[in-house]
Parts: sequence; structure tokens; C-alpha cells
Amino acid sequence: MDLNKTYDAIVVGSGAAGGMAAHVLTGHGLQVLMLEAGKKLPIEQELRSMQWPYDNPYRGELPPDRHSLSFNEYTIRRPPYGPGWEKSKHLHSYIGDTDYVKNIVVDERENPFTGTNYAWVRARCLGGKTNIWGRLALRLSDYDFKAKSRDGYGEDWPIHYSDIAPYYDKVDLYLGITGVKENLPYLPDSIFQRPTKLNCAEVTLKQGLQKMGRVLTQYRAGVTSDGLKHNQYRSRCLGRGACERKGGCDIHAAFDSPTGLIYPAMDTGNLTLRTNAVVREVTVDSQTGKASGVHFIDSQTMKDYTVRAKVVIVAASTLESARLLLLSKSRLYPHGLGNSSGHVGHNFCEHIMGPSVAGQAKDLVGKAPTLDDGRPGGFYLTRFRNLAEKHPKFIRGYGFEGGSGHTMFPRGTDSHGFGASFKEEVRKNQGSYIGMGAFGEVLARYENYVDLDPVVKDKWGIPALRFHYQFGDNEHRMAEDMKETAQEMFEAAGFKIVHVSGRVLTEGWSIHELGTARMGSDPKTSVLNQFQQSHDVKNLFVVDGSAFVNASCQNPTWTIMSLCWRSCDYLADELRKGNL
Amino acid sequence: MSTNDPVNLKQDRRQWLKASATVLGASLLPLPAVPAEPSQAETAPLARSAETQSAARFFTSSQHALVEELSESMIPADSHSGGAKAAKVADYIEQVLRQSLDDNQKSVWREGLRLIDLMSQHYHGKSFVNASSEERIAVLTVLSDNDHMTDLPEVRFFRELKHLTVRGYYTSQIGIHDELEYQGNRVLTEYVGCDDAAPKPS
Repeated sequence: MDLNKTYDAIVVGSGAAGGMAAHVLTGHGLQVLMLEAGKKLPIEQELRSMQWPYDNPYRGELPPDRHSLSFNEYTIRRPPYGPGWEKSKHLHSYIGDTDYVKNIVVDERENPFTGTNYAWVRARCLGGKTNIWGRLALRLSDYDFKAKSRDGYGEDWPIHYSDIAPYYDKVDLYLGITGVKENLPYLPDSIFQRPTKLNCAEVTLKQGLQKMGRVLTQYRAGVTSDGLKHNQYRSRCLGRGACERKGGCDIHAAFDSPTGLIYPAMDTGNLTLRTNAVVREVTVDSQTGKASGVHFIDSQTMKDYTVRAKVVIVAASTLESARLLLLSKSRLYPHGLGNSSGHVGHNFCEHIMGPSVAGQAKDLVGKAPTLDDGRPGGFYLTRFRNLAEKHPKFIRGYGFEGGSGHTMFPRGTDSHGFGASFKEEVRKNQGSYIGMGAFGEVLARYENYVDLDPVVKDKWGIPALRFHYQFGDNEHRMAEDMKETAQEMFEAAGFKIVHVSGRVLTEGWSIHELGTARMGSDPKTSVLNQFQQSHDVKNLFVVDGSAFVNASCQNPTWTIMSLCWRSCDYLADELRKGNL
Repeated sequence: MSTNDPVNLKQDRRQWLKASATVLGASLLPLPAVPAEPSQAETAPLARSAETQSAARFFTSSQHALVEELSESMIPADSHSGGAKAAKVADYIEQVLRQSLDDNQKSVWREGLRLIDLMSQHYHGKSFVNASSEERIAVLTVLSDNDHMTDLPEVRFFRELKHLTVRGYYTSQIGIHDELEYQGNRVLTEYVGCDDAAPKPS
């Protein structure tokens, strides 16, 4: 990193969005500085995807001096999670509950937040949450981009599907995705590599659903099943198993930002990476009103640095990006950078999770074990609500993620009893279970927002984020429907119902937070234009999930990267023309 | 004690706690059992001396032997594979508890091991370790049949015992390979699907 240099662009964050920005901009020949708040981890040593539990000192569980928050703890405690776990050296979010992810997710006490309860999962390390993401890679459609035109709620996106479709294609081809074409207007197909296969319980469910006009398809995973000739850092998927273990893929068949985007960008010679760089403010040139660079703190030495660039690209994750804009107050921008609309931090949305069903395919009991978790995922049951018909109780939709079959740690051990019969039942039943859980759209509402806490600061003295966020009536009515349809579909498939739950998980659980700097054509009601460029500050771009206008019900990573690619093409062009 | 006719644990336990008081001395009587109560086992003379003898280990050697038998009763050896004893589940539990920072969990175990022996004495007139396989199963069946009564320390112990035995067993070599015959964690050339699941001649 050269403090005397003015870079073409500074990218704040190294996850899906930051990695993509670095890839696209360095490809255009720009000199890019990437700042990551966390460390560069020896990630293969962290993930150890092939380690047997009995070769791990804690059988894969979290070491005893660490604690990860459980659902119950989220419901009875409010952030910041300071007191109460004094004995635990480190406190993690719910996802940090294995020995394999403990250094990837942050320590909650170093990174406090306040306000309403939120299961805020943060990964401060090179690659961010892409190191441990769930891999489901879905496209959005005009059912999502033009949702307001369909049901009157919220705002339409300032783009059509046709604007982003070529970029979805580019992401598919550059990063690799497995799946099966279904020709669904509301869930467009990708350019798929070799698909995984459904196992027998999943085929039974698919057939049961066909009678109801509903669609189950192979998990569309952001995983390269055929390999990528242009990428030397990633292997094709070897179907090894244990993909269910939270914590990435140590051969990088599953996409992660470092091997998929950042290392190739570094090979161009145009990317400089600075880790342990906690950005605390985007600086502004008081003459021009444009962004001039950033201030950051070295996370280890606590030393403060200033670096300059022609363009600043914020890609710190939806909530961290909003926080950074709000922190960047100045005489010119007293309410935070790019916030003349007052919408920064607002319209915060995500996916509601919780309702789920577990069942058993009785004909599979006692069958010989098969390798079912050697696939990057099981199945995706696509949205079926509010497509052709209008549901009387709620707007928008939801889909289900699910899987079945044998796993390294068997399903069904929570059944009643003990002894010889218990042991035999676990063995014979292990491959017969099937389960799925719903992901539903949480409506973007101005009233759901984050701002800065006036008192609480993080380990680096930076004001913490304060949450004002809760699920609303539409979400709760949708959750009731999720539970009912989940059961109905498993019954239609002829499964024995083992468990049905309507319990809604804590806000944040989906790790799909979105919308805090939404795009739009009206600068009064939106923060960014269709190219994720600030309406107020022409050389400021926010290229992560915060730009989303609504959450849709599809998992966001593939859309984040496709949008980012499109915006960075525009950015490079505008910079070349001298418009920034 | 017939499995068709579950015992009333709350009624029964008064008798075995009372009976034990006469045998072992009233100071050991753990009545009434409330969840937040600090472990009485920790202050009991036997437990204290055991701790001084071997500060590094959580279980005394006799407790360890008891845990071995308890875990084996939970997941026994059968014609298909070895059980919890062969999988050294007691060693796993020892390690978890030795490293645990959760005092509540520790006292559930200390107290639970004692209560299990009181129950065995009450129902069969001998300690759990000296009881026959059928007698052990009978004691654990009382707890399993009443496993919703989580206000009782012996029930909390039973749930802990099951949880850690299951965890230790199915993460062991015997559990993963011999018992479940897990097929993963190796390189496949092709994803396996429903069509491939039928056994093929090799």
C-alpha cells in the first residue's frame, strides 16, 4: 500500500461484492486498493473439510473457552452481548459453533451493537462470509424487480431483468454454478455446469409436488462441478461429503471471494490488498464535494491511516456499509455521506426463517448407506405464492431449502429412548429422513432501520450500530402459511411427519440482510442510482446487498455479484470519460 | 417394574431418597432438588477427597467405571458393531466435563451419578455397576419414561448422559465407520442419485 499514491479506486470489503469489484475494475486496468477489516487466514487450515471428528480435539465442536449464542440466548438477551459470558474468552454469533469457523466469525464483544435483537453474523477476514456461505445461487426476475407494479407495495427496482441477465451469465461462467434448467419465469435459469442428483426421498417429494403444480429442483449451488479452466486456485467439486458442516470448502469448489475473484485480480498486477484495515470514514474533498479516499485504523496497531483514490467503492456488507456512510459525516454531509434522502440505514430487509418440516420416507428405512452429503446441497423448492393467484393473507413469496439422506452425524438421534432399540433405529432410519425450511421475503419498510448508537463504540472506538428492526404482520402471516404448506407438501409426498415447526427464528438468522442504501431513480427516496452510484456523490459507489430495493425470497449472493459487475463496468467507463 | 406401566417418578423418588438417607447418612440427602442450587456433591466429603487426589480429572476411577457402564447401557454393543464402551465414550465425556466452564453442567453430572446409584440401590438393592444388564435398563427406563420432568436432577442427568453419549459415540471411529457405515469424506467421480442407489454387481 502506497500512502502517497492516489489509487483509481479503493474497495472497502473483500466479500462477494468487494471481490467482484476488484475483479472487474482490475480487468479494466484500474489501480485498485482493497481494504479488509480482518486478517488473511490460512483458510485451508481453518476449514479442514476432510478432518474426521475423532481426529479433532473437540470432535469438531467449539473449544470450551468459546461460546456461540443459541436461539434461546438471542431471545432472552438483548445486544450488546457484554455481561453474562465472562468465562468465555470469545463470544460468537450462532453460526460460530464449530471449531472450523471460530476464527472466521467475529468476536461479538469486540464488535458490539445495540437496539432490537438481531442475529448479526459478521465474518471479518479476507473473503468475509463467502468463506462459509450456504452456496445457494439463485437469480431474481421481474417478479422481484417489478414487484411494486405487480402488487402495489414498496418500490420497483430501477432495472429490468434484461438489464442484469447478461451479468448473471458472466457470473455463472466465471465462477461456476450447478443446477438444472426449469424454464420458470419467476426463477430464471443459469448457465449450469454438471448438476447434482436428487436422492430417492427427494424424487418422491418432487413427484408429490408435481401433482400440486409446485416445483422442486436440484440445489443451485455456486459450486464448480466441472472445474474452471481460467482459475488455477479452485478445484472442481469432488463430492467428498460433509458439505453440511458449516464452514466452507477447502478445495474451493464452492465459490469464495479470495480464490474466485481476489487472487485472480492480484495476478493482473493491478490490485493491492491491505488487511487488518478497519475503515472508519470515507473522506470528502470540501471543494468538490466528492469522495477523496478513506481513513482506516490498523486493527492490530490501532494506528490511523489515510489513503486517497479517485473513486470509493463501499462493499462492507449491507449493515457495515450503511454504518460507514453514517459515520462519514462532514460539514457538507451532516447526516452522513450520500444521505441527502435520509434513506441510508432504512428500508432494511432480509429473509424470514424458521418454519420447517421434517419427515421420513418409510420405504427407505433399513436401506444400505449411500453418500448423500457429497453434494453441495439437496434441493430447492421454488416459490409458489402470489405468482398467478393472490394470497388473501400476505403479499410476496417464499421458497424452501431442503435435503435428505445420510450425513456424517446421523439425523434422528433426538428421538425418544435409549439402548439397543435406540441404536438400531438410528442406524436403520438414518437415510430415510428428509427436511426443509422456508426463506420468505421480509418487506422493505422505512420504519425498519439502523443508525449509530450515541454511546457504545467497538474495540477500535468506532460508534456501534443501533437496530430498530422487527418482522411485521405480513411476515408473521407468511410464516403461518409456510408451516401449513410445508406439512401439506410432505403429506402429499406420503412422508411420515416427524416434526413441524412454525417457530420464527431471530431477525438476522438468514444472514441475508439487504436494502440499507437502496437504488432508485428518485434521489429523494433512494440512495443510489441503477449503477449503485450515489445520487449525491458521483464518485461513491455502494456495491453490496445494501443496494437492493426489496429482498425477494431468493438468496442474494449471485445477484449482489451480478449487479456489482454491471456497476463496475459502468464505473470504469465513466472514469475513462472523465465523468467521475 | 413393567415398561407398560411407567412408575410415578415423583412419588417413587421420595422413597429412594429417604431409604438412601438411612443407609448413607442424612447429610447426603439432596432434597429438595432445585435447578439453581449449587451442587451438594461438590461439598460432599467423598467428592472433595476425590478432587484433591486427582485435580486433573473430572471423574474418580469409580465414577469413570460407572459412566462407562451408563454409556454402554445407552448405546450397547450388538451384532452390528461395538457400543459406547468400545468407542471410549466415557473418555470423551471426561474430557468435555474436565474442560467445561459450565458449573451447572458439572454439578448435573456429579449429582446425577450419585442419584443413579441411589435409584439402583432402591430398585435392585445394589449399585448400578453391580446390577445386571436388565436391572440397569430398568433404572434408565424410569428416567427415559419421565424425560419431560426436567425439574428433577436425575432427569436432567439422564438427558445430559444421552446427549453426550450420542455425541461421543457417533463422532467416534466405531460410530461413524462400523455402526453407520458412513460413505463420505472420500473422492467420488460422480454424484450419487436415486437411480444409482440400487445395488449394482461389482
